Amino acid sequence: MVDHLPNLGREQEMLEAMGLSSIDDLFSDIPPSIRRDGPLDLPPPQTEEEIWADAQRLLGANVAMNSRPNFLGAGLYQNFVPTMVPMLATRGEFLTAYTPYQPEVSQGMLQAMWEFQTMVSELVGLPISNVSMYDASTAAAEALTCAVRVHNKKASQPNVIYVTEWLPEHRLSVIQNYILGSNIELRLLMTNPDGTVNLEEAGVAAGCCAVYVEQPNPFGVIDEGLPKLKGIIGEDTALIVAVNATSLGILEPPGSWGADLVVGEGQPFGIGPTGGGPIYGLFACTKEYLRQMPGRIVGQTKDEEGREAYTLTLSTREQHIRRHKATSNICSNETLIALMGAMHMALLGPGGIEWLALRNVAACEATKRAILAVEGIELLHPKASHYNEFTVKLPQSAESALQFLEERGVTGGLELATTTKGAKRDWLLISATDQTSNSDIEALAGGLSAWLRQWQWRLANE
Amino acid sequence: MSDLFAFAGTAQAGYAQPAPLLSEEETSGCIPDSMRRSAAPRWPRASEPELVRHYTWLSTRNFGIDTGFYPLGSCTMKHNPRINERIVQLPGMNDIHPLAPESHLQGLMAIFYEMQEMLEHCSGMDQVTLQPVAGAQGEFTAIRCFQEFHRSNGEESRDKVIVPDSAHGTNPASAAMCGYQIIEIPSADDGRLDLDALRAVVGPDTAAMMITNPSTLGLFEPKIAEATEIVHAAGGQMYYDGANFNAILGKTSPGLMGFDAVHYNLHKTFSQPHGGGGPGSGPIGVKSHLAQYLPKPIVVRSPDPDGLEGWWYSWEDPEQSIGKVQQWHGNAAAVVRAWAFYRRYGRDLEKMSEHAVLNANYLRHRIMNPSPEQAEKITAMPIDGAPAEVVKHEFTLSLSPVKEATGVSGKDVAKRLLDYGYMAPTLYFPQIVPECLMFEPTETESKEVLDKFADDFLAILAEPPELVTSAPHTTLVSRVDEVWAARNLVLRHPLE
Repeated sequence: MVDHLPNLGREQEMLEAMGLSSIDDLFSDIPPSIRRDGPLDLPPPQTEEEIWADAQRLLGANVAMNSRPNFLGAGLYQNFVPTMVPMLATRGEFLTAYTPYQPEVSQGMLQAMWEFQTMVSELVGLPISNVSMYDASTAAAEALTCAVRVHNKKASQPNVIYVTEWLPEHRLSVIQNYILGSNIELRLLMTNPDGTVNLEEAGVAAGCCAVYVEQPNPFGVIDEGLPKLKGIIGEDTALIVAVNATSLGILEPPGSWGADLVVGEGQPFGIGPTGGGPIYGLFACTKEYLRQMPGRIVGQTKDEEGREAYTLTLSTREQHIRRHKATSNICSNETLIALMGAMHMALLGPGGIEWLALRNVAACEATKRAILAVEGIELLHPKASHYNEFTVKLPQSAESALQFLEERGVTGGLELATTTKGAKRDWLLISATDQTSNSDIEALAGGLSAWLRQWQWRLANE
Repeated sequence: MSDLFAFAGTAQAGYAQPAPLLSEEETSGCIPDSMRRSAAPRWPRASEPELVRHYTWLSTRNFGIDTGFYPLGSCTMKHNPRINERIVQLPGMNDIHPLAPESHLQGLMAIFYEMQEMLEHCSGMDQVTLQPVAGAQGEFTAIRCFQEFHRSNGEESRDKVIVPDSAHGTNPASAAMCGYQIIEIPSADDGRLDLDALRAVVGPDTAAMMITNPSTLGLFEPKIAEATEIVHAAGGQMYYDGANFNAILGKTSPGLMGFDAVHYNLHKTFSQPHGGGGPGSGPIGVKSHLAQYLPKPIVVRSPDPDGLEGWWYSWEDPEQSIGKVQQWHGNAAAVVRAWAFYRRYGRDLEKMSEHAVLNANYLRHRIMNPSPEQAEKITAMPIDGAPAEVVKHEFTLSLSPVKEATGVSGKDVAKRLLDYGYMAPTLYFPQIVPECLMFEPTETESKEVLDKFADDFLAILAEPPELVTSAPHTTLVSRVDEVWAARNLVLRHPLE
């Protein structure tokens, strides 16, 4: 028996009031030739108690990151979300509201998003932020198409964009799908062996529409050369920097060193990795890109009595008004998750974000040291500085190491070859965050030593 | 006002964190000096008690379904069951990584598989992907699949996508993002799809047609099967915008109507909360000839006695996949909420649609048939946005006669409804209906709520025009100056 239909059992009364006799009368406009014959072939309805039991059983069969030593990252990071965040963000007034098209009764969410825009703007060092994109990959893709719209007329390399080598395929593929319809040519920006941008070669990108780089890069390396990049590519080329959000507690914001647009994954602020979604993409830019940017944006204004108020603004860029000439097709975004992010950022404050970043730096460094103490494992980029993650070169395949660790209840990281073209099978990306403990690190280092001993034993005995 | 940036605590007022694993000396060289942040972001200096109050205060200044009736047409603002929120807080949902080994994600994948199958069954499609994270992204994904399909048939020259003028704005925007030229066809005088207009534009350059059915007028297109035949005969593909799926689930399906692809708005039909604008979830289903192009990966399963309930679930990449549209597996937790919602109805999902349509027709009937006492006080009544015996899950009214007689516009009535404690209906959409208000009550409203709303709506029509045109009067702010906002562009706090 279904239980969320208040008018169950009262259908006849309502039908009669309308002069109808049966529910079928309400569907008389569907031609018989396309009517479904027979009921849906689905199981019977369940009660809340049964659904809860099934959900616990099924989702309980997943292995939660926090239930064991876990070193997976690569764009989504294990974090701790203060209890206040989900409790307040899921208040019904926020949770069950639609897009604030009626500002008079939506001031709460509008103000919260305006505050979110302010905090993101402060974080990345650019004046403008929108109310969120779907995730980091779509934010990156839409920043690129936005930059092409802005720069194409003046560009000496029209319709050309550059992205750095070594992007994970799942991110690159989103970019490729999004640019395909705009006749944009994607070229690769050469990197040094540690994945940092090769500044000597970067001149080839001068005069194209946009250059997309990541800080830290996909190997976890902090690219110290990036502040020189804007000078090389020039004023008529957009510099788009994708950031690891928490790193900006300690790293200089890209807006201070030449970035025109900053994008990234907001997830570490506000929500767990959640199987990859819903999360939220950060999108910030300078004024030059404002009228070509995708997504919603909130502006401050006043009401008829001159009272402070907030409203969605610059909507004429958007699909519900501009239709096929809109800057993007985005309609639903990730507002509720951005609200969670805003609450988390507000709780952290200027001191808390730096402390959080320091914890991430320390966890990364402590893990690095412990792994380097294991004889036979090398850092792929020993001279580089890292944030959150680093890549090691193993004497055997990363797959075999991960499998061995898995048997000991440790999630050892990511075999880069599974996500990244050109990566070798013995490269392992290890991520540590503020949630990594000393015992987690011991379990990983201990596991890797045991794995190596096993290999050496096998080699000696075969 | 509560100003988030006016709290005056210390820089770490918010929440205390454990110490880093290494001391500051031990990590001193880890971040190059040249890259070290010189000034902290000027984030709030607020403690948890202050922030709890700030956000609670903000929440009281926001209207959700939980606050009151939300008849926002085309948005399907139905009740959001709270168990769904509890479920997604389980560590097996909120603390899982999409790149984790399959063995860590079997429970999620089992739910994905069940949702793929359920959506296929309900829509008459052959394969579903859950990856698109919003309806618009579902449209984009399906059009990309069409594009690859035409390309593999050597028909890249098909460069036009047809949409009716009543379509959601995302339809043309999504097709344009794929590089297509948009051909908009006018609706017939009765608001229905005009087959002659369609015949006039289809041809060897037609890549696809995108249409929602019931249309945004809330009307079932009786000639939908003919339309799909016309487009198919010309070699085009048919796309079903599933925004209005709530009207027909269990009664007919896009498959029966002849469509090749469809998106589902899990945040409409399957009750993922709208969250003030998102997240959504926009899975798509396709017929078999398109399945090989779907984004990667989808979930498949094989029998395994040691597996979860006898199955082992794996990710599989469609052969000629277009790749990714979101870098992970889509909005997984939205899919799980939708799963919990679906489980509540099971084979009775049909009842959901029946009650959605019952409520829409009842509300329309109540508004359009005032009592003699009510009628006496009303200067002018709205008219149907399009003539119809019955509507589906939503309906449109044109306030043109009201505006002509009294000067009260659709927007004025919408704003006045806020005073009565309701969310306004969708305003001025579809654009083909002048002074349009679009109502969608959904299945989760009681007869009493609908009766009361109809009476209040009719009462507004009887009010002095100046009272209505100056509304709202009882909201926390009066009419908001949108022009000032667009001119001055104060897009962040000045922090001065």
